[in-house]
Amino acid sequence: MTKPLLKVSDATVRFGGLTAVDHVSFEVNEGELLGLIGPNGAGKTTALRAVTGVVQLSSGSVELDGQRIDHLSIDRRIRKGLSLSQQLVKPLRDMTLLENVVLAAGYNKTASPLKALVNVDDAAERKIAQAMLDKVGIGPLANQKPAIQPLGILKRLELARALALQPKLFLLDEPLAGLNSKEARDLASTIVELNKSGMTIVLIEHNLGEVIRVCQRLVVLDNGRKIADGEPRGVMNNSEVRAAYLGGDVVAEKGGVHASY
Amino acid sequence: MLYVELIAQGLVQGCIYAAIALGLTLVYGLLRILHVAHAALFTLGAYIGVLTTNATGSLALAFVAAMLVSGVAGVAVFRLGYQPILNRPPFVALIASIGLYIAAEEIFRIVFGASGLSFVAAPLQSQVPIFGGLQFKQAEIAVMLGTALIIAVLAYLQNRTRIGVACQATVSDPQMAESFGVSLQMVRDINFFVGSALAAFAGVWVGLLNNLVEPTMGSVPAYKALAIIVLGGLGSVQGTLLAALTLGIIESFGTIYLGKVLDRNAIAFAFLIAVLLVRPQGMFASK
Amino acid sequence: MGYEITLLTTMGISILFALSLNLITGFCGQISLGHAAFLGIGAYASALSTKAGAPFFLAVLFAMAFAGIIGVVVGLASLRVRADFLAITTMGVGFLFVGIVRQQDALGGELGISGIPDTGLSRPAFMVLTLILAAIAAALSIYIKRAWMGRVFAGIAEDEDTMRVLGIDAPSYKLAAFAIGTALAGVAGALYAHHLKFIGPESFGFVESITVLSMVVVGGIGSVAGVAIAAALLSVLPAWFQIIGDYKLLVYGGLLFLMMRFAPGGLAGIFASAMQSRNRTTNRGKP
Repeated sequence: MTKPLLKVSDATVRFGGLTAVDHVSFEVNEGELLGLIGPNGAGKTTALRAVTGVVQLSSGSVELDGQRIDHLSIDRRIRKGLSLSQQLVKPLRDMTLLENVVLAAGYNKTASPLKALVNVDDAAERKIAQAMLDKVGIGPLANQKPAIQPLGILKRLELARALALQPKLFLLDEPLAGLNSKEARDLASTIVELNKSGMTIVLIEHNLGEVIRVCQRLVVLDNGRKIADGEPRGVMNNSEVRAAYLGGDVVAEKGGVHASY
Repeated sequence: MLYVELIAQGLVQGCIYAAIALGLTLVYGLLRILHVAHAALFTLGAYIGVLTTNATGSLALAFVAAMLVSGVAGVAVFRLGYQPILNRPPFVALIASIGLYIAAEEIFRIVFGASGLSFVAAPLQSQVPIFGGLQFKQAEIAVMLGTALIIAVLAYLQNRTRIGVACQATVSDPQMAESFGVSLQMVRDINFFVGSALAAFAGVWVGLLNNLVEPTMGSVPAYKALAIIVLGGLGSVQGTLLAALTLGIIESFGTIYLGKVLDRNAIAFAFLIAVLLVRPQGMFASK
Repeated sequence: MGYEITLLTTMGISILFALSLNLITGFCGQISLGHAAFLGIGAYASALSTKAGAPFFLAVLFAMAFAGIIGVVVGLASLRVRADFLAITTMGVGFLFVGIVRQQDALGGELGISGIPDTGLSRPAFMVLTLILAAIAAALSIYIKRAWMGRVFAGIAEDEDTMRVLGIDAPSYKLAAFAIGTALAGVAGALYAHHLKFIGPESFGFVESITVLSMVVVGGIGSVAGVAIAAALLSVLPAWFQIIGDYKLLVYGGLLFLMMRFAPGGLAGIFASAMQSRNRTTNRGKP
């Protein structure tokens, strides 16, 4: 068994009286493509935000590569090797697609204001940025502005920008949301290729069909608690998971899970 | 006894701040604009107030005229000034508003003269003993009662009328206005009208308390009211009221005990900065 | 000849001062409504130094360091509040500065500091020094814009949250912007004090803060050339046209409002769109 790259232990997040994430533990192994799923309001996005530092843990810990990171600020965690592709794509609109990615690729030159002040040259970063845009299939659009691009392109830009940080662990928050089925399938395939090239990925996704198709392992959350963890087919046959997805106490008929695709 | 007097003075000032800041909060809550030019409507109200009183001898008429004129002027500022730049970054409206205020102050100076106007026969100036030798000007008592009354009326209208409820709902979701059968445009116009009328209300009182209306009378309230709505947690009506009264009292104590180190305006902002360092979301914000 | 020298010196100081605010507000997107306080800090720090016998050049360095340090302290406050709150906090810092200086006898109180010693430079030499420093500030601005720092600033100005997800330590960068911008304002202040030989609290109040902001806005937020041109024009216009001198504030206020209302990109924006439409017409002319 390899050492886990990300280890979330007993993580709990409370907002006032509401417990959004309730004593959740899971691990992500090196090279894995893990799906983090669950019905609406299950706490997936909050769990991911606790990993990246957007929300603070009430208790528990997060370790990346054997190091505790749960006390660090967002940007420090990013520099430890996390990278987040956000659900709501937020390109910097005054810059071209390429410039957006260049900014991420220059992470070594922007580590401190002093470094950023003395460094001017960006030839290497432009090369990396172009390569990343090519990798996600939008290389020819490099010099366009984000404002005029459709969502599918912006989602890929978000991916390229997060990749340019050369992360150890890549967190994807609903990359397929808002895309039509062909776009979703294409982007899911791009994600699989990334994983095959050695990238460890955690994927939060509503599109169960694609999740089951591409992920090697699933972690399922419901009401803030982990209810299942394992290979996709086994997890989806788990009666608790099916009940969570179908709602209420109804236990689905065999094969009922297909209805929720 | 000194304490009671200081608190009373602070409350009078606080009521005036509240009337000015409420309009600002309404505008901020609805449109996220820091409406500095609000203070120009305060000054405008004061001028209309003193001119009407001197012409007709009726203070009541002066209030009605001042509030109507400023209210309409407020809607005009919104429609001509802010409406076209609503989708720009927030600083655009802020800077436009500051520009508008500065220009307005100069226009008051050019039209009405730099030295200001006074009431020919200022009403409500006699002293009323309250208890234990404590005395108030009639106008000071009237300010407190008047502000309390007008805020109560507004609260009633806001909760009991269709348009009032629509206005409240629109703050959290612009789509809501339509579901009450009221257009978004109308909600915004009403907010500017009511907020500006409140500013004029405060303006007439300030003119009366000082028996002087001058072009620059809005500049201190303009910036202090901003401090108040930040303290109150931007956009919160209750927070703004509390912050206005608190600041009034703090200033009245501060000028006695800190007067050697800071002037009155600096006390307000020192308080603001101190609060923001401890509670960046404002003194009374719930978040 | 003496008149032109005074004019050019004033121009140089204004350019330096406006470029210093452009670094904070234009490049990094942090609105400051109290920047004149740092001009004042530089002016007072240098005036007190030379009056105590320090050589002029040392006093300039001291003014730069001192203003920069206070700038970092204010910047620390800016880390806790953002956008709208920041505008009001910095405005508060401006009022606080004036409020404190006014009440301190050691700083000359209301009367200010007069009889600031000669720099040892002739008036033309002082003018040349001022223009050289303004040119250095412009060169530094252009360099920063091209360096990685400029990209990061632009990103923070647009969307701080996204920059953090890209691993950018936004607070450090904002502090850096404040440090550089306020230190340059300190230099401008030292030049100002030793040019006029007299300083008082009123020279560094809210109006001055708005004046410098109007230079940045009219020039085009973030544009080095635009801001320098706007600063040069706005600083000498009142001297050229006596009539504007009297209505200076009306012109400033009106310009701010009209610029934001009709051309938020400032001179730089107008220039850019003029070039664009010219290109479009020339292209259309081609087969």
